[in-house]
Amino acid sequence: MSGITSSTALWYASRATGVVSLVLLSAVMIIGILVNRQGRLPGLPRFAVLGLHRNLSLLAVAFVAIHVITAVADSYVSISLAAAVIPFVSSYEPLWLGLGAVSLDLMIAVIVTSLLRRHLGRRAWRAVHWLAYVSWPVAVVHGIFSSKDLQSGPLLYLAAACIAAVVGALAWRVTRARAATERAGGVPALMASRLARAGDR
Amino acid sequence: MSKHTSTPPGSGATGIEARERGRKRLRAATVSAAAASLVAAGAVAISLPGASSAATHSSSGSTATGTHHGTSDTNGSGSSSSSSSSSSSSSSSGLSTPTSTPASSSGGGQVTSGGS
Repeated sequence: MSGITSSTALWYASRATGVVSLVLLSAVMIIGILVNRQGRLPGLPRFAVLGLHRNLSLLAVAFVAIHVITAVADSYVSISLAAAVIPFVSSYEPLWLGLGAVSLDLMIAVIVTSLLRRHLGRRAWRAVHWLAYVSWPVAVVHGIFSSKDLQSGPLLYLAAACIAAVVGALAWRVTRARAATERAGGVPALMASRLARAGDR
Repeated sequence: MSKHTSTPPGSGATGIEARERGRKRLRAATVSAAAASLVAAGAVAISLPGASSAATHSSSGSTATGTHHGTSDTNGSGSSSSSSSSSSSSSSSGLSTPTSTPASSSGGGQVTSGGS
């Protein structure tokens, strides 16, 4: 069976919550991408989709918090709390853990500005919220290269599926945005032709 | 529940009921996602590689450290893994760890030589 003992429990918890965090963050990204273009999920009204986006974000943050806390508390690999927050200062895997710290910092920035959304302007909040699009790929690179778990076996397919799903959602959004722009671009020409027709009469 | 579907569309109550229904679905989706995440975390933890080797090492006390470092560490922990494996005379578990030690080639080599 598993080798989870009292001495290795934190190590396993950190790795497992890291994997689940990746899936949850991917789901949050996908919903965020879809919702912004009037996307709907089957059986859910728009406000509920927004609520699901927020709730899944909080759930993902909870798992990320457990992931970080267990990694710091794990006595096998010495990762200080400072190294979890300050990028590239860890003695263990400085680059890959540093990327994890960068992703965590970006996530914290998004959360804090979301909590203070009423006090910030919508434009400022939106600008910071775009950091989520940076945070996710950084977290994926951290997850893939900081340990061997996502580099082979079923978890490799899981990571690939997450990446493919987010890329697919992004492609869908870009396509929709381009089509909307083209439709909007055709409006002046249509109006000009109608005005010309009205002038002929 | 059924009365929500029987209300005629366009009435004032329909919007409130639809909103309430949406809220219930949101709550159900959130709870389902949280439960699924917890179950998934448990399943992933059980199925993570290195579990079997960690189990064999945990029986010999401190040698679990050697297994753990071997699977995930690359830098400083190589020395500690070699010292821990040299303390354990049973080399079978020490030799099985390199299958899950692609990260530390030098550390893994020390484990093997120490065990033999």
